Amino acid sequence: MKDPYETLGVEHSASPDAIQKAYRRLAKKLHPDLNPGNKESEERFKEVSAAYDLLSDADKRARYDRGEIDASGAEKPRQHFYRDFASEAPPGHSYENYSGFTDFADSDDILSELLRRRSNVHVRARGSDVRYELPIEFLDAVTGAVKRLTLPEGGTLDVTIPAGIQNGQVLRLRGKGRPGLGEGEPGDALVEITIKAHSLFTREGNDIYIDLPISLSEAVLGGRVNVPTPTGSVTMTVPKGSNTGTVLRLRGKGVLRRDGGHGDELVRLQVMLPELPDTELEAFVAGWQGGKAHDPRRDMQP
Amino acid sequence: MTINKREFMVRAQLEDKTLEAWIREEWLIPADSTGEMMFSDADVARVQLIRDLKNDLGVNDEGVGVILNLVDQVHGLRRVMTELLRSMHNRA
Repeated sequence: MKDPYETLGVEHSASPDAIQKAYRRLAKKLHPDLNPGNKESEERFKEVSAAYDLLSDADKRARYDRGEIDASGAEKPRQHFYRDFASEAPPGHSYENYSGFTDFADSDDILSELLRRRSNVHVRARGSDVRYELPIEFLDAVTGAVKRLTLPEGGTLDVTIPAGIQNGQVLRLRGKGRPGLGEGEPGDALVEITIKAHSLFTREGNDIYIDLPISLSEAVLGGRVNVPTPTGSVTMTVPKGSNTGTVLRLRGKGVLRRDGGHGDELVRLQVMLPELPDTELEAFVAGWQGGKAHDPRRDMQP
Repeated sequence: MTINKREFMVRAQLEDKTLEAWIREEWLIPADSTGEMMFSDADVARVQLIRDLKNDLGVNDEGVGVILNLVDQVHGLRRVMTELLRSMHNRA
């Protein structure tokens, strides 16, 4: 084997730093994987790495300089470079990349046919996921529904909305995204659900809220009233002396929970005076001593 | 020939964290056979290439990604070139 100093092209007095620099300069040019088609580069690279192996180790270098060892046998055994596999790998090897010339395949029949055949038979790549947004009605979110989504590129997608879905929740429809390449699986469709507002109900988690107007007589004397719920009206007893802001709970009339139970519907009462002035009521209140003594603002201290 | 993750890590002398990071960077793309990562001899050699770039040639992490991408493109080009030549000869 040649003199390692000569191989790297450095002086015998070269510093370790200079040796490393010289090696890197040569290795960048000669590394077989950076020269996939050049058979000679491999031999040269092996020489250069063997030389560097010897000279980068201060101990070995000193022994070589004193003539105790020679440069032979210093070669590192190294069986394979990546290029050996890349060029022998079956077609469609996962790293190979054709993006370097797909532009001119567009205008060349032979090349595009070659690429098409290759991608049909061998390349596997999972298709990408596609995101959609689907606004749904409040009640569909509570009770569940099947909604048909019209896709921008044509076609439709049936989305099963589970009962109790939350605003902003994303449903994943397996295999409904972009098709894969070759034998690759298609991607998924990710459907983000937004729940539209309802004119009567609002929702917090699994509970439903409703503001329920009641008459003055129902508030003062109590009574049975009909209350809308997402699954139809139910009858509820308003206790005697109920006030605006009183909250009554209808157990189990809310949204389906994950554990299989249901949330509640919470009914906030609002006491309403008659829509038209009522002389009888006015006459009664004018003579009502208890009413004059009542100050609902006595706790309001700024 | 394919080998599983454990065998690959032994043969490539690669630690779990490094392997994860390299897969995240898409320097390595294991084949997925029913949820289990599978590797090949090509992957072992690719690890050696990444090591050469990082350790011997002083390439930084960004550079490694760029180089691997270009190397992959070169191999794609070489393969199509080979087939193109073959089909030309067959036609002639």
